[in-house]
This record gives sequence, structure tokens and C-alpha cells, in this order.
Amino acid sequence: MAHVVLKDLVKTYGGFKAVNDVSLTVNDGEFVALVGPSGCGKTTTLNLVAGLVPITSGDIVIGDRVVNDLDPKDRDIAMVFQNYALYPQKSVYKNLAFPLQMRKLPRDEIDKKVKEAARVLDMTHLLERKPRELSGGQQQRVALGRALVRDPAVFLMDEPLSNLDAKLRVQMRSELKRFHQDLKATIIYVTHDQLEAVTMADRMAVMNGGYLQQYDSPAQVFAHPVNMFVASFIGSPAMSLIPLEASAANGDTVLTSAEGWSLKLSRLNARKVQRATTKKVVLGARHSTIKLHKSEVSSAIPAKAFTVEPTGDVTFVQAFLSGAIVNISVSPNIAVAPDEQIWLEFDQERMHLFDGETEMALKAD
Amino acid sequence: MSTIAETASRGQTRRRMRVDGWRWAGRIFLVFMLLYTALPMIWMLITSIKSGFAATQFPPQWWPDEPTLASYQKLLDPQNSVGQDFLRFFWNSLFVSTVTTILSVIVAVPAAYAFSRFSFPGRNFLFFAVLLRNMFPAVIFLVPLFILMRVLGLMNTHGSLILTYLTFGLPLAIWLLKGFYDNIPVQLEQAARIDGATRFQAFIMIVMPLSTPGIIATAIYSFIGAWNEYIYAYTFLSKNDQLTLPVGIQRFFSENTTDFPGLMAASFMMSVPVVVLFLILQRYFVRALTEGAVKH
Amino acid sequence: MAPPVRSDEQGHATVTIVTGKAEARRRLQPGRSGTLRKIWEHRADYAYVLPAIAVMLMVIAYPIYYTIELSFFKTPPGLQLRDKTFIGFDNYTAILTSQVFWKVTWNTLIWTLGSTFISFVLGFATALALHRDFIGRGVLRAILIIPWVISAVAASYIWKWIYHSDFGIIGAVLVGLGLADRPPNFIDNVSTVLPSLIVVNIWREFPFAMIMMMAGLQTVPDQLLRAAKVDGASAWQRFWHVTFPHLRNVSVVTMLLLAVANFNSFIIPWIMTGGGPSNASHIWITHIYELAFGRQRWGVASAYSVLLFLILMTLGYFYVRALSGNERNEGSA
Ligand SMILES: Nc1ncnc2c1ncn2[C@@H]1O[C@H](COP(=O)(O)OP(=O)(O)O)[C@@H](O)[C@H]1O
Ligand SMILES: [Mg+2]
Repeated sequence: MAHVVLKDLVKTYGGFKAVNDVSLTVNDGEFVALVGPSGCGKTTTLNLVAGLVPITSGDIVIGDRVVNDLDPKDRDIAMVFQNYALYPQKSVYKNLAFPLQMRKLPRDEIDKKVKEAARVLDMTHLLERKPRELSGGQQQRVALGRALVRDPAVFLMDEPLSNLDAKLRVQMRSELKRFHQDLKATIIYVTHDQLEAVTMADRMAVMNGGYLQQYDSPAQVFAHPVNMFVASFIGSPAMSLIPLEASAANGDTVLTSAEGWSLKLSRLNARKVQRATTKKVVLGARHSTIKLHKSEVSSAIPAKAFTVEPTGDVTFVQAFLSGAIVNISVSPNIAVAPDEQIWLEFDQERMHLFDGETEMALKAD
Repeated sequence: MSTIAETASRGQTRRRMRVDGWRWAGRIFLVFMLLYTALPMIWMLITSIKSGFAATQFPPQWWPDEPTLASYQKLLDPQNSVGQDFLRFFWNSLFVSTVTTILSVIVAVPAAYAFSRFSFPGRNFLFFAVLLRNMFPAVIFLVPLFILMRVLGLMNTHGSLILTYLTFGLPLAIWLLKGFYDNIPVQLEQAARIDGATRFQAFIMIVMPLSTPGIIATAIYSFIGAWNEYIYAYTFLSKNDQLTLPVGIQRFFSENTTDFPGLMAASFMMSVPVVVLFLILQRYFVRALTEGAVKH
Repeated sequence: MAPPVRSDEQGHATVTIVTGKAEARRRLQPGRSGTLRKIWEHRADYAYVLPAIAVMLMVIAYPIYYTIELSFFKTPPGLQLRDKTFIGFDNYTAILTSQVFWKVTWNTLIWTLGSTFISFVLGFATALALHRDFIGRGVLRAILIIPWVISAVAASYIWKWIYHSDFGIIGAVLVGLGLADRPPNFIDNVSTVLPSLIVVNIWREFPFAMIMMMAGLQTVPDQLLRAAKVDGASAWQRFWHVTFPHLRNVSVVTMLLLAVANFNSFIIPWIMTGGGPSNASHIWITHIYELAFGRQRWGVASAYSVLLFLILMTLGYFYVRALSGNERNEGSA
């Protein structure tokens, strides 16, 4: 196992920067998720680490070697692809054996390792099949097996679960996590699904438009998103973002909506807003931090319920507020009807405030 | 209630009749096309088993009174001078076509792969330049190539033909194969490279086997093109022992044009190799066109 | 787009990175200019296309250059080209003012358009008729393709025999049915020769259109057809609104390929009639060939070739456009 360092990594296609100055360190044995919307440069970053595309500038270190100029085969990595990339003309056995053959292992050793991997992944009975004769989940296992037999320094995974159905995805998620714990493997895992990243990763690197936005543990990213993009990308349903205007009124700092209502800020939040260089402030609140009242309460803001989605455990209510959509979760025994008048109360402790111009989180110090 | 059902069922019969109408039109059309295609070939075969006398009767003998394989025996008899020539031409054609085919594949495969996978500057320009070759008739190149071949000392050699045939086979070959490579996920090669293969090994061990149908189609196309080519062979070759079949046949039947059974037998024999080859491998060809040319 | 945040402060291990080699490599790249650098970066890629390009250059670029040069010279017979004399555009004027030129151009037009259009329609119709599965479809398809595979030389002889003025089977059938007193002379008659040759050409070419269109038909999404059926579209409407638009690109490419092949065809007229009688079946290519290798007027033949070249470049423009249309579709698929 080994650590991985990306330093000032840049990849341009023509004039287009697919990866822009990305620097991050993956510690030995760490599970890091690269997460971000489609097209943000995750696959490109992973391919740079793998050596599948040449880097434009920057450096990559795996273990203690700078691997910038090394071929993929010499980087001691294994990779699992989104579409599995199983060799269609080879049987499962031969697919698993291929990386070992390429490393010129003796035949009996190959046989031993392939059988061992097949046993671990519970697919001994599939060894003679061709990939097209396997279900999606089985193909996925073979792809994983092909990475496993090698015992590489780093595992690279590019959306390995996104072609599976929802149920299988949840199951494989926990298996992968288990696999990471057992092997103490260094894993860089690419996904566009923030839930996968949050549930599996030790740390997650949130990317957007080729830039690294935030690199931290899921709990930290969730609790302290550095900007509006990260705030809205992580968490489901998405954090509600309401654009407001800051002003001072008889000693207090208040946020005023174009709709006319205003919200008095707590001391800490007021300090954040005062330090901002602009009056435009965006209020961010996660669904669970907004309290829904069915009758008027002081400090709660009037709104109209728009849709109501019961899921069983919780009921999600969407409301319009100041031109933004606000997600609220309520207990299922609170009956809310669409178009009903409701009042929303924001938790000052857990609300997020962003600079309306730079979109960065406002800080108190 | 009953009227609704009635109307509905009447609507249904009407629809079925209309569908049947199209289907019948299709069947009749196919029969017509079958006759158009097959009758000339059948008449060739029937003529080829007639004697010279039986072929020149009016009205024609629809089926020869005395069918005979004499024409074929003559063509295939190495003792006879006609047979000697014919077998020599046949061998020449086989040689030229086979070498052309092998070289086409060797040249087209890497080129098509590069056009599919790499994005080097000028890629599109080169690709279309290669395709544009298809646009130009043999005749445009004939005079200068005639001179070029003289300069290269390739006049009256099969080398001149092979070199020329390569170029007219290549554009379609490259186009077809590029379509194939476009459809092979690049991740397969990436996986192979990560599994320890070099770029070249990944190509040979993973990509090549998957593009076999395309390569076979390319090969058939080159072979048939070379086998049937006439105009360059007609211009570049003058020595009798070098001629390929299309030219050779013409040379030796223009002397006695009344030997129609012989001419038909020779036409038949000339067609057999390519038709057989094509029929055996046609599914690859259709697949290659679907994957290579059309789906593009 | 959100602004960049460089924020991996925690856990940024201090690893000294030796960048010497990478730096050196980057400095080696010649020229700061983008294109040169890109060419240099991709130098290995060119190795793959080099053989193809080399062969093409030798056998195409050189001949094209030479043809253009020769078209401005008067050439003595026998290809003693050292003795050629420069005469400017005289060859071109000679061509454009000659009677034969216009006759041959007209023939070429009829030949190309007639063959292309009818081959395409027959091929497309056959592909449609063969699209539905039935017993013996594979065999039928194979038989229909055979004329495309056999050599044009063989085809020419077969049809020459069929059209034969004394013993031809068509003449005999017409006489037998009482439609003619004596066998008509198809290819020795200025008014019937070109249509008769076009029939032969179509015989050889419709299978190509058929294969292309069959391949195209396989790519028409079943779902769309089913959706149209549910929407109440008749068979004809389904064809016209779903199938046909989907095949537009294939159709254009097929027709262009056919048009080019027909424009360039040589063997059938050359072997069956040699361009006769009285130029009635001469098309450009046979005419150029005769000028060059029959009458040894290389200069004039070259000038003809250059004109042909210009026409083909125009067609080529559309060909490339149709093909790149395909490329675009691929991108969005
Ligand atoms: N070979 C390439 N040529 C040009 N642009 C590319 C290439 N590969 C990726 N890109 C572009 O780079 C960006 C990032 O792509 P990618 O890394 O695949 O995104 P992700 O995996 O995050 O969805 C995209 O905008 C994509 O269009
Ligand atoms: Mg991706």
C-alpha cells in the first residue's frame, strides 16, 4: 500500500482545462472519494493518476516515486471502470488471469491467485463464463476481482457502482467498504453520487469545473461547506439557498427578503454578515434544520407548501420562499397539504451564510 | 355497443388489408428482382454447357439438347494452350489479389486505429484526404502512373498492380475499420494497459481480436477489388504470362468471339472464387458495414 | 461556476517532489507555438498513419501534380515526354469547343444520374422488402448480392451475350412473344445503347445500395416504430416519418458513393461497346482513355482529367459534408 500525492495537477484538452491545479494527498490506506457533477474532471484526474492520459503540468507521486513519466503498467495500480471494461472475448478466468500473465507469473501461481480471488468474491462457479453471460452485478464483481488479484499499491475506481440497480448498489457499497477495511487498501474512488462518497469515504474531494472545491472528511464537508456549490451538492435533498439582503436595524443585523419578511440573526451569524464585503447574503439551510409550523410563531417566516412527498419515515415538504425552493423534512404524523399556509423557523446554530457575490461561506473570524 | 365493435373490427380488417397490400407488393417486387438478378447468371451457366453450334441457334435452345462440359475441360486442361493460359491468368490473379489483401490489412489497421483513437493535429484533414481518394477515377491516375511505373521499373510486373490496388482499397478499408475501433470502448485498452500491457500489447491482445469482423470485411473488400480490377491491368501489363484474369480473358476471346460457351465458362470460373469467398464471409461484411459505415 | 478553493491544508504531506525529469522534458519541446508543440507531442501517433499516407502520396499526389502539368503541354505520340511543348490553355479550349465533348458530357450525365438513382431506389426497396424475416431470406439476399461481387468484365460479357443481335435471349423472347419481327439490336443502335448499358450497370450496383440500406435499417430504433404504431401511423406513414428520416445520412452517403462510382465507371461501356456506335455510349472516362492510350493525345487527355478533377472536387465537397454529418451524429449518440 502507498500514499498518493497530486501536486498542481493540470490537464488541458486544446484550450480547455479539464483539470485545473488540483493538489491533494491520499494517505496510505485511506479511502478517498472524488465527487462532483458529471463533466467536472473526475475521470480525467483518475486517468492522470493511472497514467492513461499524459499530464499537462504538475506532478503525481505514488509511494515514494514520482510517476509522471511512467507507463500505467509500471505504476503498480489497479483500476475498476464504470462499464467494467471486461475483455469480452475472454472467460472470467482469463479476465482475472490477464494481469498476472502480463506480469509473467508462473502458471500455477496464477491459477492459485485467480481461484483465491474467485473464492473471496464468491464467483468460483462463474469462472468459465464469458462476460456477456453475466449479470451486471456479476460483471462488476469480476471487474473488482481483476483489480484484486494483483495486490496493487493503489486502487482506482471510476464510478464502479453506477451501472448497478439501486438495491445492488447499496449492497455493493457496504461490501466495498468492508473490502477496504479488510485490505487496508489505498483507494481513490470517483463518483458523481454524493451519497456514495459520504457513506464510504474517509475523506472526500469535491470537484467542480476542473477545480478542487473542498477536501475533507464527509462530516466536515457536510457541516462546513466552503462555498455554495459544495453546500448544495452534498446532502439530499439539497440544501435550500435563499438570496437575501443584509441590513442593520436598531442594533440588530437582519436579513431581508424581497418579499418583505425579515430574519433577525444571532450574534455569531451577525458577526459573519458584518465581516462580509457585500450586502447580498445567501442563507443556506438543510431540510432537517428547518422547523415547520402550521400556525404563526414569532421568528418563523410565512410560506406556502408547494409539494408534499411522504416517504414513510419522513415527509418532505417543498415550499417557495423568496423565489427559492426550500426543502423541509417533517415527521409523517404532521399532515401538510399542498398550498397550505405554513411558517418556517430556521435554526440559527446550524444555518449557513454565504457571500452573495463570491458564493464563499461567510466566516466569523 | 355492437356498432362500436363492428366499426372497430371493420377498421381492423381494413388495416390488415392495407398491411397485406404492402407485403404483397414487397413479395412481387422481390420476385422481380430475383429474376433480374438470377436470369442472366442462369443463362451464362446454360450457355457454358452448350456446344458452340448449340449456342448459335435461333430460336435459342432453352436447355441444350446435348449438355457438355467441353468448355470447362478446355479451360482447365494444362496440356491445352488455352488451358495453360487460363490457369496462368488464374494464378496471376490469385497472387496479385492475395498480396494486395495482406498489405491492405497491414497498412489499414494501424491507420484506422490512429484515426479512431488519437487526436493529432491534421487528423481530420488526413482522414478526409484518404477518403477523397475514393472520388477519383482510375483514368486520372493512369497516365502519370504509367510513367511512374516505368520510372520505378515496375512496368509489366505485378508490383505495379499491387501498389496501385492498395490505394483504392485503402480508403474504404480505413473507413470501415475506423468505425469498428470507434465502437470498441477505449476503457478496454486502458484496462489492459493498467493490467500490465504496453500500448502495443493492448492493441494486439485486446483490440485486434475484437475487430476481426472488420478486418475480415476489409480483406474481402480488398480481395474482390483486386480480383476484378481491369483498367490498370489492361494498361500496365502487356506480356501474356503476366496478365490477370479480367484482361487475359478479353485477350483470348477477342480472337474468336463466336466461342460464347467458352466465354461464359470463363466468366463463370472467374466469378467462382470471389462469389464463394463472399458468400462464406458475407455476414462479416454486412456487420462491418453496419458497425463501421452506417452507425458512425 | 463556483470559484476555486485550494483547501487541502490538512493532511498535505510534505513530500519533496523531484521534478527535474519532467521539467527537462517540457523544455525540450520545440517552439512555444501551439500547433508545433501539439504536432511534437503527438509525433508517435503519426507513425500509425504514415504507411497509409506514404502510399497515398506516391500513387495519388504525384499523379495529380503530373496530370495538371501535362495538361498545359502539347505532347508527341509515344510518350516521349521530353519533347513536349508548352501551349498554355490550348488543350482546354480545344476540348470545350469540340462537338464530342458536349456529346460525351451529356452521355455521362444520363449514365451517372440514371444509374445512381435507379440503383438506389431498387436497392432501397429491396432492403425494405427484405427487412421482415421470412423463410429463405438469407438465401435470397445472398443471391441478390452476387452481381455486385462478380467482375464487371464478366458482367459485360454475360450481358453482351444476352443482348446479342442474332442469338441474344432477350431478342428471342421478344420475337417469340410476337413483340418484334426480328431480334432488336440493342447495343449497335445509337438510341438504345446507353439505356441498355445502364441496365447492366444497375444490375451490378443495386446490391451495394441494398447492403448499405439494410445496414442502415438495422439501426432504426424499434421503439420509435412501435411508438409511431401506437400513435396510429400507417405503414406508409411510419416509413415516411420514422424510417426514412433516420436513413437520411446513409442514403446521402450511398448515393454519393454510387454517383462517384458511376461517374468513374469504365469497364462496362469499354468492353461492351468501346464507346460506340458513333460515340453514343462514350462517357468521360472511356473518352479520356481513348484519347490517351488510343490516340496518344496525352496533353488533351490530361486537360480532360483536370476538368474531371474539378467536377469531382465539387462532388467530394458534398461527400465530405455528408460524412462529417455522420461524425456529428456519432458525437451526440
Ligand atoms: N479526450 C478528451 N478530449 C477533449 N475533452 C475531454 C476529453 N476527455 C474529457 N474531456 C472533457 O473534460 C471534461 C471532464 O471530463 P471527465 O473527466 O470525463 O468528467 P467526469 O468524469 O467528472 O464526468 C469534460 O468537459 C469533457 O468533455
Ligand atoms: Mg467520469
